[in-house]
Amino acid sequence: MMIAIDGTLVSKGKGGVYGERMIGEYRVWDPYRSKLAALWYLDHSTDLPGDSVVLYLGAANGTTVSHVADYAEAVYAVEFAPRPMQDLLMVAKSRKNIVPIYGDATQPQRYAPLLEPVDLVYQDVAQPNQAAIAIRHLPFLREGGEVILMLKTRSVDIRKSPEEVFADTCRELEDAGLSVVKSVWLLPYHADHAAIVCKRV
Amino acid sequence: MYWYGAGTNISTDPADVAARLRTAKTNMAEYNPCDWRQLQQLGLVKDRQEYLEAVRSAAIYMAEEGIAAAAQEKDVELLQMVRTLDEMDTVINLLTERLIDWYISITPSFSRKYRGSGAGAARLVPMIGKKGTEPMKKVAREILSMSAARTNLMKEVSRKAVVVIPNMSALVGGLVAARLMSRAGGLAAVAKMPGSSIQVIGAEGALFSHIRTGTPSPKHGIVFQHRRVHNAPREVRGSVARALAAKLAIAARLDYYRGELDTEFVDAANARIDGLMGKEGA
Repeated sequence: MMIAIDGTLVSKGKGGVYGERMIGEYRVWDPYRSKLAALWYLDHSTDLPGDSVVLYLGAANGTTVSHVADYAEAVYAVEFAPRPMQDLLMVAKSRKNIVPIYGDATQPQRYAPLLEPVDLVYQDVAQPNQAAIAIRHLPFLREGGEVILMLKTRSVDIRKSPEEVFADTCRELEDAGLSVVKSVWLLPYHADHAAIVCKRV
Repeated sequence: MYWYGAGTNISTDPADVAARLRTAKTNMAEYNPCDWRQLQQLGLVKDRQEYLEAVRSAAIYMAEEGIAAAAQEKDVELLQMVRTLDEMDTVINLLTERLIDWYISITPSFSRKYRGSGAGAARLVPMIGKKGTEPMKKVAREILSMSAARTNLMKEVSRKAVVVIPNMSALVGGLVAARLMSRAGGLAAVAKMPGSSIQVIGAEGALFSHIRTGTPSPKHGIVFQHRRVHNAPREVRGSVARALAAKLAIAARLDYYRGELDTEFVDAANARIDGLMGKEGA
């Protein structure tokens, strides 16, 4: 269950990761900074069970990762760029359940030996082939597990409208054997972004 | 194979794991992710906590190794230098414009002809440094000293570019070559770009407006800063930019994969571009 205090999404953990506001011992999770928080504000059924293992693709500076780690049992966080990776390492040093992986999400065969079966694949990468990247990580997803794909439509094809890109991506995911459970445009928090939640059946 | 090895070669030591994974290419078609209990059965960890700690230490070790290697790439510093240079330009221009507006606002007799940030602005700053109020003089002096630092940095960028990207620098000069590389996102990135992309680096606005709404396509981006492009007669400017960009794509690959100046290639490429320019070639 996600924790909310008077309607504000929070997570329980040590603060001071990126200057986030605190309510007591809870860290405020800002929907304008994190797409996962935005998804929760738009759809309260979004959940991160306490015993879940998460594969997080596109970890960036570890802002959202730190909140996910407050909820989940373990987070395997993959990031490709050296500069954000340094920040992610700092976050991982104070959180024992983050496994920071310096690798390219389009090349899972490189870091596959480090991973174990996961309950959730969370993906937030600015790449043209976002559906293909998610599909490549399906071997790590437990049966009944979820994929949350934060689709940045502008990175896929600038010539197509966000709606077209969205429809194409959903089709690609379904063709790979996933079932799209729901999809949410992340307005007003993030423009041209859609969250696609799928289940592996 | 899993991160902790296979068969008799099993360990969770971070250095061993890094060596093991350096060449890892898992066949994803028939892959089963590892089960931590297997490592428990092997007696290397006693519980889940220890497993996570072991895999985490190995991952952190590899990440630190990877970041250190990335910092060793020869283009890393040049990239930051060009970006600093371009940022300094922006800052100097903004401050100059603001300072001039400030000076004009309290000098009613000032001729409006000097306004703007062109060549006139360059002469105005030293003038304000002498005639302005005390606080103005201070700002003017800061701008002048920043301009001097900028000039030094520019020379340093050119010098470094000749070493890091010799072939690209030989075609368009160190500064333009470094700017192209910086906007592309690094030497590896520019080496993987087709010439047509290199041609319009820096003209992204015009390019996307062309793709979206069919406005005329851009003929040149940053390559325009090179004299053979901006000095070319209008009719052939597009062709020169095109040919130059194509040669730059080859040069970038030489720089990335070989890293040495190839005079034969540079001479042939320059001859081809100068040929397009007719007599005006340099």
